[in-house]
Amino acid sequence: MSNAINDDEQDEQTAAGGVEIATDSVTTSGESEEEVREEWIDYRFDGEAKLSVSDLDVWYGDDHALKSVSMDIPENSVTALIGPSGCGKSTFLRCLNRMNDRIKAARIDGSVELEGTEIYDANANLVELRKRVGMVFQSPNPFPKSIRDNISYGPRKHGDIEKGLLARLFGRDDTEAEDELVEQSLKQAAIWDEVSDRLDDNALGLSGGQQQRLCIARCLAVDPEVILMDEPASALDPIATSKIEDLVETLSEEYTVVIVTHNMQQAARISDQTAVFLTGGELVEFDDTDKIFENPESQRVEDYITGKFG
Amino acid sequence: MSEAYVTDDSLVTADSSGYDRALDGTIALGIVGFVLGLVTLIDLVSLSSSGAALAETLATLLVVVAGGVGTVALSSWANVTPVDSQRIRGVTAGVLLALLGLTLAAYAVPVTLATLLGGLLLVEAMVIATAGVVSNIGLVDTEPNATAGLLAGFAFGAFGLLLGAVLGGTVLGSGGFLWAIVALIAGIGLFALAIVPREDLGSTLPAAVVVGALGATIATATIGVGWQWNPDAISGGFTGGAVIPVFLLFGTLIAAWSAAKCRAGFGARGRQYGAFLVINLNAVLMVSIMAAIVVFVTIKGVGYSVRGSTIGALAGLVLLSPLVVLAVRTARTPAGSEEWRGGARQLFRLLPLAVVGSVTALLVSVLVTGEKLEYGYTYTVLENRESVVLDTSVAITPETTVGSLVLVLPTLLLFVYFFRQYGSLRDVGTELDRVEAVRRRLPLAIAAIAVLTGALAILGASPAGLPLGPVAGVVVVGAGSVAAVGLAALPLAGLLAGDEALPERAVDRARLFTLSVFGGLSLLAAVLVLQGPATVAPAVFGRGIVPLAALLGALVSATTATILVTATRAADETITRRLLGEELSLALAATAGYLALLGSHVALTKQNFSLGVSVANAGSLSVPMAMQPYIPLGAEPGGIFPAIVGTVWLVIGATTFAVPLGVGAAVFLTEYAEQGRLTEVVEVATNALWSTPSIVFGLFGATFLIPRIGGDESLLAGMLVLGFMLLPLVLITSREAIKAVPDEYRDASAALGVSQWETIRSVVLPASMPGVITGVILGVGRIAGETAPLILVLGSTLNSTSAVEVLNGFRFTTAPPFIANEALLSASASLPTQVWAVIAAGVSGSPSMGWATAFILLAVVLTFYAVGITARTYFRKKLNYE
Ligand SMILES: Nc1ncnc2c1ncn2[C@@H]1O[C@H](COP(=O)(O)OP(=O)(O)OP(=O)(O)O)[C@@H](O)[C@H]1O
Ligand SMILES: [Mg+2]
Repeated sequence: MSNAINDDEQDEQTAAGGVEIATDSVTTSGESEEEVREEWIDYRFDGEAKLSVSDLDVWYGDDHALKSVSMDIPENSVTALIGPSGCGKSTFLRCLNRMNDRIKAARIDGSVELEGTEIYDANANLVELRKRVGMVFQSPNPFPKSIRDNISYGPRKHGDIEKGLLARLFGRDDTEAEDELVEQSLKQAAIWDEVSDRLDDNALGLSGGQQQRLCIARCLAVDPEVILMDEPASALDPIATSKIEDLVETLSEEYTVVIVTHNMQQAARISDQTAVFLTGGELVEFDDTDKIFENPESQRVEDYITGKFG
Repeated sequence: MSEAYVTDDSLVTADSSGYDRALDGTIALGIVGFVLGLVTLIDLVSLSSSGAALAETLATLLVVVAGGVGTVALSSWANVTPVDSQRIRGVTAGVLLALLGLTLAAYAVPVTLATLLGGLLLVEAMVIATAGVVSNIGLVDTEPNATAGLLAGFAFGAFGLLLGAVLGGTVLGSGGFLWAIVALIAGIGLFALAIVPREDLGSTLPAAVVVGALGATIATATIGVGWQWNPDAISGGFTGGAVIPVFLLFGTLIAAWSAAKCRAGFGARGRQYGAFLVINLNAVLMVSIMAAIVVFVTIKGVGYSVRGSTIGALAGLVLLSPLVVLAVRTARTPAGSEEWRGGARQLFRLLPLAVVGSVTALLVSVLVTGEKLEYGYTYTVLENRESVVLDTSVAITPETTVGSLVLVLPTLLLFVYFFRQYGSLRDVGTELDRVEAVRRRLPLAIAAIAVLTGALAILGASPAGLPLGPVAGVVVVGAGSVAAVGLAALPLAGLLAGDEALPERAVDRARLFTLSVFGGLSLLAAVLVLQGPATVAPAVFGRGIVPLAALLGALVSATTATILVTATRAADETITRRLLGEELSLALAATAGYLALLGSHVALTKQNFSLGVSVANAGSLSVPMAMQPYIPLGAEPGGIFPAIVGTVWLVIGATTFAVPLGVGAAVFLTEYAEQGRLTEVVEVATNALWSTPSIVFGLFGATFLIPRIGGDESLLAGMLVLGFMLLPLVLITSREAIKAVPDEYRDASAALGVSQWETIRSVVLPASMPGVITGVILGVGRIAGETAPLILVLGSTLNSTSAVEVLNGFRFTTAPPFIANEALLSASASLPTQVWAVIAAGVSGSPSMGWATAFILLAVVLTFYAVGITARTYFRKKLNYE
């Protein structure tokens, strides 16, 4: 019981302390060799911003994980997020569909707009938002259900597919539509050939890489507008990886893709623009991918890309 | 060794030395002694038996063991289940030898079993001591530690204290404190003996002393069978019959531990082997005590419980049908891939089928010959406080009547099973316009019947004096039944007409099957339900139209199924065969479904149906003990039906009350509530509630609940009190199970844009189902046999003569609460209170009735348990990939 009281107090302290730390860190980075210059990340592009992030700060307890990040993510393109481990890429990604709300310790400050609508609005519809902004997690997390059910889970819950005894009685059985959707999603995720003959087996029986692709297929089945991918290829062999890369490129014709990767070549190959985060949770540079990889503005980014600094 | 044994016919190979064999033998002797200790503990064999009688008992045991060992040895020899461990082979041989030795000794020397077992302990003690010495002087190759360890030291020290106290007390008298000095010396002596010398002596010599002392006490009859000790300090006492088995269990356990250590050459391996043996023997002890309780109650109660039972052969066949399906399914499961195991696998796959098949044959033969199959025996009843022995029998009669419930339950089960087997027949077969038209209209028709049923139920059969119900009822029921038969016959007609080959025809008519089965069954079910509110039951030729239609439907579907089986045999393409399999599932589901409707009709309208065979509400299966109430003045005592009904209702009531509440609270506390003060308080409170003594719940029920509901002891009060007892366990286990569901699942679901409640319903709850069910099983096990609170709130009497009628007790009222049930508010019998009442009734309670009640209580609880386990296994299988 006393714990609960302490928790409350701690929260307040954190809130107060958090701001202090924020100012602290700004001064520290100001004192460091290089300052994050506004114009480096003030990337302009033609057309609409699908997602527009401004002054986003995230704290985990006392830990200031993202520091005043702003970036506009263009529609129908692939945006790569790169940076050393622990620099806040996943944190940033989770902010885009408010998955960070689910982490108790997380506190978010700033604004993210999806097509001009603030998603951190008090009366924003979370369920609706996550339908539009899908996510593939860093570690595969299929449900303990059959492969088929994993794919059709989302559409079924959204009422896009009706199945079961009642639906059967009322003649609205969408089994056919389901089968089509399952096949299409699995094919898109480059896993159809491996599982087509065991769709009713439990998904937990798949290998790690297969599970990851299943999760991609599951995300696609909901037909989101934005797809957030957190290192989708980290557990895959080169063949599956290249299939996923192809997939990402095709997706970018219709979808807005934000992808975290540790693989520089991959980022260079598939993305249209790249954001580089560096340790401490700052967005150091955001620009066209070619620009970032060939001629970065910041020395630290160049060091990171060429492997001099992690 | 695993290659060697294939060519090696002798049980024990040359690489085990005489030392090894002697110790294997000693371990075996220990095991035999342990088992005999168990056997004598529960009085299966008397300790005072001797001579030929004893030898015969031992010989029986020898034959049983030899049979088991022989089977395993044979299958090992045939390479089916290879056993290549020298230790297992040695110990097994030892067990046979030990039993043989005991049997021969029993023939040769005229001593009691107790003496024989004392001798057994002495032999063990000698072998252990010798082995220790042999190892110590280096005759064998062992790796002992420097000492047996403090733990062993303290254990033996404690044994020493105990032995010293007992021996000192016996020899020197319990006055004074001399015995205490003896005890102290013995304790310290054994402690020193255990820890001072090297491990090989330290773990054998004190063991030998303890075992030897125990053996000598028994063998010399210092504590003999007739021995009795009634200490002044405690009322009551100990008898030799109870003490000797305990000594034996204890002594053999120590001996086996010590011998196992010697056998494995002491050191780490020795410790492991010793612990392995002790733990396993202990597990055997635990299991046998539990089994003993069940066996004991069964032996005492089963004769009385099944007295006078009869079953009609046809009813037997119906009851057997789910087992037949299960056996066929088992036999069809693909065998393991490894060639050499084929034989054994085959056997186990086919065995159930063979057994079920032979029972079926038995029942059919009774039906065909028309001769009763009977087994007669006697039982005892209490009449005017005197035991009277009555003749009775259990029998299978050549009756062709099937009880309605006996028909409905298995057929419903089969319907569900076949329906689940059915996958899908979409996009198969040609569409016929007329059939499609019927398919579209049918749901409308069924909905209309449902609306009519509802209207009649609310308005009454003759609203405003108009005979709407009877008139419309007859028309609709008649038309519906005829249409249902027509639908049922559709596939058969489709199969018979046409000129392609049978398999192709069958595939082509697939759309008829789905329409026929789903349409026909639901139409007939709809008119069946309509009959009630419409107060009609139209009949032709003196038989109800609905049951007639059901029977016809079943016959037609069965014919269709038979034709399909032939078609499947004729089909050569796998895909065709699979499609035919789907159709077969549908046809079988239809058969079962129509039969279930037939049974339901008889049960609902209370009108028997007979056409060749009969379906009736009474007869065909009779177990007086379970199906009759007590008959106070009859020649036969009747049974405890009211108590069974009471217990079943109590459990149903308590679970329907506690499970949704408990699971709901668990979901709220784990998924929604802020983790903090409230959840902590609830956690502490539930734990406290779970450990509250049941009698306190009873008092709460009696003083708080009863004055508020009905004012008198009642079934409802019992349900609530048991529900309150069940609630904390369900809550605790459900919470743990829900907490154990990984957060990744919740995240994944949330990221797909699924609301929290949907996520809980479709991901979290299914994933936590096995845990929740485990909790419910444990809880039901506890409350089903709960006696103390029921004595206070249920108001049951001994030998109740009428069962509570809960289902018929519901009455709708115009004033709140709109629904009332007298039965729930009246007192009821229950199994545990019946057992208690028999005991409390003293001489006037019939002990055999009590045992039989206890047996049935055990059966009921175990049934609930089995259902729970099945459900849990089902959900586990669904969760984990098979
Ligand atoms: N749930 C959490 N609670 C507390 N701190 C967290 C939590 N998640 C992340 N952090 C912290 O936030 C910082 C950024 O983490 P994040 O997972 O975003 O890094 P990342 O860039 O995705 O790293 P990686 O490449 O290794 O996945 C880290 O310092 C981490 O310790
Ligand atoms: Mg990450």
